[in-house]
Amino acid sequence: MESTDQYNFSIFSPRNRHGRKNRNVIFTMLAIWAVAVFGFQILLRVIEKPVPEPALGQFEEQWAIIASGNEADADYRALLNSLVMVRGKITVTEADKLLLSDAITASVVRLVPDSVMQKVTDGIGSLKMMHEEIKTLKGQEYLDLKALIRDAGTAINETLEPFTGYGPGSLEAPILAASLREEWPASFTGTELSRLPDVMKLYLTHNRSVLTDTTFLGFPFHYFYTAVFLLILFVVLCIVYNRLIEWRLNKEGIVE
Amino acid sequence: MKRLYIAFVALITGTLTLSAQSLTQLEGSFKTGPAIILIAILVTFVLVGIFFRAKDPADYYAAGRSISKVGSGMAIASNWMSAASVLGMAGMMYGFGYNGLAYVVGWTGGYVLLLILMAAQIRKYGKYTAPDFIGDRFYSRDLRIVSAIFTILISFAYCVGQFGGIGLMFKWILGLNYTWAVIIGSSVVLLYTLISGMIGATKNMQIQYVIIVISFLLPVFILAFKFDYFWLLPQVGYGAAVTDIVQGIPAPNISGGAALLNAYGHDLAIVPSPEFAMPWDPSTGTTFFQWMAICFSLMVGTAGLPHVIQRFYVVPKITDARWSVVWGLFFICLVYWTAPAYATFGKLLSSNPEVGALAKDAIVVYTAQLGGVNGLIVGLLAAGAVSAAFSTVSGLLVAGASAFSHDLYVKVINPSSTPRQQLKIARLGTVLMAVLVTVVALMKLGLIAQLVSVAFSMAACTIFPLFLLGIWWSGSNRAGAKAGLIAGSLVTVISLTYFIAGLRGTQLPGHAFISYWLNVWYFAWIGAPLAIVVNIIVSKLTKPTPEEIKKFLAEQVHN
Repeated sequence: MESTDQYNFSIFSPRNRHGRKNRNVIFTMLAIWAVAVFGFQILLRVIEKPVPEPALGQFEEQWAIIASGNEADADYRALLNSLVMVRGKITVTEADKLLLSDAITASVVRLVPDSVMQKVTDGIGSLKMMHEEIKTLKGQEYLDLKALIRDAGTAINETLEPFTGYGPGSLEAPILAASLREEWPASFTGTELSRLPDVMKLYLTHNRSVLTDTTFLGFPFHYFYTAVFLLILFVVLCIVYNRLIEWRLNKEGIVE
Repeated sequence: MKRLYIAFVALITGTLTLSAQSLTQLEGSFKTGPAIILIAILVTFVLVGIFFRAKDPADYYAAGRSISKVGSGMAIASNWMSAASVLGMAGMMYGFGYNGLAYVVGWTGGYVLLLILMAAQIRKYGKYTAPDFIGDRFYSRDLRIVSAIFTILISFAYCVGQFGGIGLMFKWILGLNYTWAVIIGSSVVLLYTLISGMIGATKNMQIQYVIIVISFLLPVFILAFKFDYFWLLPQVGYGAAVTDIVQGIPAPNISGGAALLNAYGHDLAIVPSPEFAMPWDPSTGTTFFQWMAICFSLMVGTAGLPHVIQRFYVVPKITDARWSVVWGLFFICLVYWTAPAYATFGKLLSSNPEVGALAKDAIVVYTAQLGGVNGLIVGLLAAGAVSAAFSTVSGLLVAGASAFSHDLYVKVINPSSTPRQQLKIARLGTVLMAVLVTVVALMKLGLIAQLVSVAFSMAACTIFPLFLLGIWWSGSNRAGAKAGLIAGSLVTVISLTYFIAGLRGTQLPGHAFISYWLNVWYFAWIGAPLAIVVNIIVSKLTKPTPEEIKKFLAEQVHN
């Protein structure tokens, strides 16, 4: 059949008044939708700045002192604090966990007398064995060993508390117990820990802005907007669209 | 009667005791209570499937167009809310922080597109399946065949994630290894789909939706109450927990004079962790571009998924097609508002290093366990997750089988086939697809949400442009559609090739570039617009659309 323009149709050039109004509604909805979703994220990106956590400043200060060779016990304790703050994060990769654990153990070794460290090393060895054993257990045996592991961690922290300041029940204590290793790097300035400054910077720097620092209903505002508000907006947009369409169909006496 | 009552109480008590004992072990043990709940739910599904079983092909494909708009909305929600929604989404937020929210927004925002650009028009066009529409609109048998193949591939990719989710939950409940869990779960869902077809599936989807919502919401109310957050509306109450994670909670974390502890007795203290909520945090390995690309791909993919589009054929009236989207979206949002709460509470409850690394895709169930929620409720949650995967898989298998039997067999291979033969072929297609999906699901190629997003990108690059232009521009013709489909397919093939090569340890030229810019989880950000542009250009340069197609569009779809 020969093609003519009689039935040509596109969303940009509707064929009648009803179509034009429909097009306007669709484009308005699409504009609101696009600005609300993507516009907000672009705004977030434009105004954000990389902001370090306080622990990064602490780390960089102590790292410079340790690199210069003029460090004291207090410097290792401060370094340990910043390392533990990163090791406790759940997003840390396995490779970075190992690096941080090495650095944490090396810091502890410098704070603790050899005799105490021997006791701690024995405790770490026994913890390691229990971690291996628990993989094969089920039911009550599993739960019993889980409790023993917790107690062993507490015992290590009790031993270390006079030197680290992390008493059992503190935020840092379980992180420390989970981090300690039986072997550790001899030096902070060797190649084994050379990645440490970059790793610390990676985990302790975050994109922040007024939209992330303002709280709304308990949320950081941007989180509320994306996780809660946008979904409400989508439902509202859909209801408004349907109401508008039906209102116009009724008004124009159109039966679908 | 008294004996029966005593036996019933003994059974419930025993189940509660057994489940309470076993649930403090996150993995590896047989969990009696959850197993009983799961079996009861599966039996219900099969019985409903038998009761409402398909009697002829029309029932099998489109449920006889006998479903109400609220019922269809529930079915849309249930069909939509897969293992990716119930398990995968919280896992993404748990693992990747704010970037996980791209999935929440992408999988809901796409419904706005679906409503204003597709729903009523598809219903007005009056075809059974996506390949039906494409073959008819672009007057091309080739396009019908290719789109049927893509429908199968999309359903296939979508199913892989679902079977993975089913496997994870069967593994958790039955204490089996992943392989056996996937095989058993796959067999059960296949059996159910074969028995019921879509009419049973639609009825089941409504039941499944109720199970999913109750099982998913209940533990969050309990967790919010137990850990002293605003529990009357935990979908908002968890906001304070997000801020607590960002700022850190010093130990001991005390409420009402007692320390807040997880099921292992660990304090809920946490080091300051802004990476959980700050946008595209460097430590999560995600970027602004990825957030936008994932969100866009999922939204556009939503409007191009054959098994979602197909749902608009089952509503009796055009206005029902529109309102079923609204109801569907609302029902979906009930779960999507809640999923981030699981990730948040999960983060708090697993902050102690002794908890160890947790599988992201099971974080929803682990969170309830670590929060000390009653074992039976956790079991119900796991059964709800299985239910979510089941409802989606049944819809996907039906969509895939429809493409195989209706669009390939009936329309191309054997047009004179009897209804009995058609049904037989549909069931054969379902079995074939289920077996192949099981094999791929056993390979554990990625997280559930990521695997599912491959299907979305494929749909966005191939089906979506054909529907969008097919409905809204009469000038889009056969040649344009073919060229656009080739462009979209090319992007898809490049992305998948690099992904598969990467899995096999092969580095193809430009691997890093392609893996980032055309990543398999979000390649539609460029593939979909490219397919649309190519379609328009080629359509402009070639023979116009036949008059009868234009007339049909003008008079039937847009009048």
